[in-house]
Amino acid sequence: MKMKNRKKIIKWIIFISALIIVLVELFPIWIIISNGFKRDLDIRNSNPFDFQFNLRSYELVFQKSDFVPSIINSLIIGLSSTIISLIFGSMASYGIARFRFRGRKGLSYSFLVSRMVPQIALSVPIFILFDRLSLTDTHIALILAYTSFNLPYIIWLLLPFFNSVSPSFEEAAMVDGCNKRQVFWRIFLPLTAPGLVVAAIFGFIMAWNEYIYALILTGNATKTAPIAVNGFMGQYAPKWGQLAASGTIILIPIIIFTLTLQKYIIKGLTAGGVKG
Amino acid sequence: MSNSTNVKRLPLRKKRGPFLYFILPAAIIVGIVLVFPIIYGFVLSFFNWPQVDDGTRGFINVKNYIELFKDNEFWHSLFLQLGFIVIAIPIELIIGFFVAILFNHDFPLSGFLRTLLLLPVFILPILSGLTWKLMLQPRYGAITYLLSLFGMEFPQGILSDQSLAYTAVIIQDIWRMWPFMFMILYAGITSLPKDVMEAAEIDGAGFFKKTFFITLPMLRGTITTAILLRTIDALRIFSEVFVMTGGGPGNGTMLFSLYIHKQAFEFGKLGYASAMAVILIVISLFFAFGLVRKNMDIDTM
Repeated sequence: MKMKNRKKIIKWIIFISALIIVLVELFPIWIIISNGFKRDLDIRNSNPFDFQFNLRSYELVFQKSDFVPSIINSLIIGLSSTIISLIFGSMASYGIARFRFRGRKGLSYSFLVSRMVPQIALSVPIFILFDRLSLTDTHIALILAYTSFNLPYIIWLLLPFFNSVSPSFEEAAMVDGCNKRQVFWRIFLPLTAPGLVVAAIFGFIMAWNEYIYALILTGNATKTAPIAVNGFMGQYAPKWGQLAASGTIILIPIIIFTLTLQKYIIKGLTAGGVKG
Repeated sequence: MSNSTNVKRLPLRKKRGPFLYFILPAAIIVGIVLVFPIIYGFVLSFFNWPQVDDGTRGFINVKNYIELFKDNEFWHSLFLQLGFIVIAIPIELIIGFFVAILFNHDFPLSGFLRTLLLLPVFILPILSGLTWKLMLQPRYGAITYLLSLFGMEFPQGILSDQSLAYTAVIIQDIWRMWPFMFMILYAGITSLPKDVMEAAEIDGAGFFKKTFFITLPMLRGTITTAILLRTIDALRIFSEVFVMTGGGPGNGTMLFSLYIHKQAFEFGKLGYASAMAVILIVISLFFAFGLVRKNMDIDTM
């Protein structure tokens, strides 16, 4: 009886410690969300824990800033780069998983390793490249730049999914007279839809979070959401309320993604080696 | 991992077939947007290449590298970036390890709390940097305020002192990334064989012995992987520090990646910046190959 009580107490101590760790860890996120409901002036002139609910910052973000167009830019660029990466990445991943050819290992590893090169190290050649092609401040430049990290990442993320699919369906379809391309598009891809969805979400989030290429390649016409959020820092006085409000909005997809996909997250984090 | 045996006898895989149809598009795109820039950057590092062409653009052999080795700021920034890695990653590992052990117990809501811990890992890097900047503002920043309750006053602001700013940037990274270590180590711990632990318990091993003589040695592989992944990732760090301190005050938080950006896009010295980029790439590839050799096999993943 005594033993049982002791175990119960330990369980509660562990639970409360875990709860405290989580609350401390989420404190900065609470700071962003709560400050979005304050006015810039109130943030700068009061105790950080005073709280008077106010929607002024959200109004300003939506009415008097370039935030909404920047969200649209981010969506266009993120979705395009994800779709391109998903189409060509799933093809390449299938090629690596199902065919034996010379240079197979070398090619797959160079996909992987080149992705681990820091983006800042590529920023100069990428800037010159797109500058020469007169593509800076266009959507195409950022879509291509984001594809450079998303495509290799998706290839590696899909590989274990694809390896785990039994080839018996494909064999059956080939017996029925499909050629290999038809087998891939009509039989194999639909089978792996869950894996494709996960890969697409990871790819989109990486594009959504990206800042370096956006910093060097975008101008007024193609500003992405992270650039616009940082823009609230202003030249002289930071508009903390609007920054927090817009920050909260761009955080929404991240929160949904983390809460719904947690069982895939380890695979996603370790597949391409690194996150974006 | 278990499917590698049933794959070997597949007729489909043995035929070479139209693999080019599947591989080529990806290879071309990666070649253009990734491999070509790497090579181009390498070539550029041997050129004088001002962003605005003033007639001095041209091949200068290894002069950029020689200049670089004489540049104190280069060594300083490299030192800051490596210091960042050496300080932040062990702390992240230790916190992650002990929290993973804590979560390996059965308690209410453990799954949900575990998920919540992952939020900082996926938060936008710039949002993390900006939030910490807000919390560290003099007077109205939440952390400055809390510290002042304990009698620690920073009238000039924490981010305007070089060593405090460097510490703050590292704490920001620890906050964001220890849950990453936690997640990988937690997955490692839960996959350890249960019977070893039970046997140790019967033999009377306490928490300390179990943790340091059984769990830790069995996790060695997982820990190496986690450290490699984090190191490669920490070499890429840029955005969060860029928006949080901009490398300042002075050059107190001018990490290597920020110095590359400064030379390239503030001073317009694209050739010089490329030489630094080459050095950064070499360091990253060193760890990347370590990771690939250790545990990335295309057929057994």
